[in-house]
Amino acid sequence: MSELPRQIEALLFISPEPLPVARLSELTGEDAEPVRRALVELAERHGPGAALEIAEVAGGFALRVRADLGEVCDRLRARPPEDRLSPAALETLAVVAYMEPISRPEIGRMRGVSADATVAGLLERGLLEEAGRPGEGGAMRYRTTRAFQERFGLRGPEDLPQLDRFELTGPEADAVRRRLAEAGHMGDADG
Amino acid sequence: MPALSRDPLRLPLELDLFEGPLDLLLTLVLREEVDLAELPLAEVVGATLEGGEPWDPPPAGELILLLAAVAELKARRLVGEDDEELVPDPEAEEVRERLAQRLIAYAPFRRAAAWLAEQDGVDGAVRYRRVPLEAAAPPAVRDDPAELAATMSRLLREPPAPSLAHLNRMRVNVGELVVRLRGLLSRSGTASYERMTEGAGALEQGMTLLACLELARRGEATLHQPVPFGDIAVRAAGSKAPPS
Repeated sequence: MSELPRQIEALLFISPEPLPVARLSELTGEDAEPVRRALVELAERHGPGAALEIAEVAGGFALRVRADLGEVCDRLRARPPEDRLSPAALETLAVVAYMEPISRPEIGRMRGVSADATVAGLLERGLLEEAGRPGEGGAMRYRTTRAFQERFGLRGPEDLPQLDRFELTGPEADAVRRRLAEAGHMGDADG
Repeated sequence: MPALSRDPLRLPLELDLFEGPLDLLLTLVLREEVDLAELPLAEVVGATLEGGEPWDPPPAGELILLLAAVAELKARRLVGEDDEELVPDPEAEEVRERLAQRLIAYAPFRRAAAWLAEQDGVDGAVRYRRVPLEAAAPPAVRDDPAELAATMSRLLREPPAPSLAHLNRMRVNVGELVVRLRGLLSRSGTASYERMTEGAGALEQGMTLLACLELARRGEATLHQPVPFGDIAVRAAGSKAPPS
């Protein structure tokens, strides 16, 4: 193995956060292209049979433990990490991810319930962070974090599917209107 | 979208599966076999009020509007049954359309949440090395005022907040436990404290006990512990104790 992949492997091992190609270039003194080739070589070395894998995530590259070994790693800890995200937390994350920066009242309005406790929990977990206030006296707004991208395997915000992919189809939206009309027994229940 | 495992027309809705009235309404509206006139509005209101979340005035106002719209739809259905002369009320139609738009606007986020849940199943179990790096030592300052100023400026800058990413904090929410316990009691009428806390740590055990006490305080459940330090039977208020 040549020197550059070894250096990059060491940097990825020691770094607490994903390192972008530009940063790896800067640290190794090599151009971006050899760095990219070294990353490919490293990824091949850390194939499916290896415990660690090279992942492009959250705007950079990380050396991380494969998902099937998460459980055995957690035995090292006094307390296993609280992995489960409640449906409320996932829904709040979805709203923030697509609408960021967004305030708590706006999240509550989208979801139909107050989001205070859920947002507080997500802030504590590091999946959301404050994104400033729009002006004097405005409500604090929130955005997703690098930890959010890491957790959901996103290279960046652009990896989120387009929101319109999740929209109700025309017939589904028509069905909503029709069903509500039927419930009210009013007028044009077919349209 | 959460699916109802049983027919909600015949069995109580498992309201603890839903994340608020929009979620519940959307699910029911898209389920053709559910008659919206049968929607247990009082239970929706109850579940929302007791959801453990404090109320924000703006979403609370929106919610009241939504539920009023559903109540109106139901009332009109009851009044208008078999009355072909009933003229559609433009105001009610506007409310209906607004409700439809809220549900249609909400749906993508519910589906996006489901997509995130799928990704979480894949990437949620990977583990990262989280040990923060030590701060780099400041360079030695020579007899250069500019360098000295730059070093002083670095010292005066607020240091970044220490990373807590490597710490696992336990989060237990009495409100959530109350909702969960209420759902359990509504389905089976009784719950065993020991079974609820099986495998749980001391903190969860204590918080579960607080949730039981909270339901007892509200008059929604009774607690029975025949033997000191023995299991506690939590029973929904009004349910009969099993024969001993």
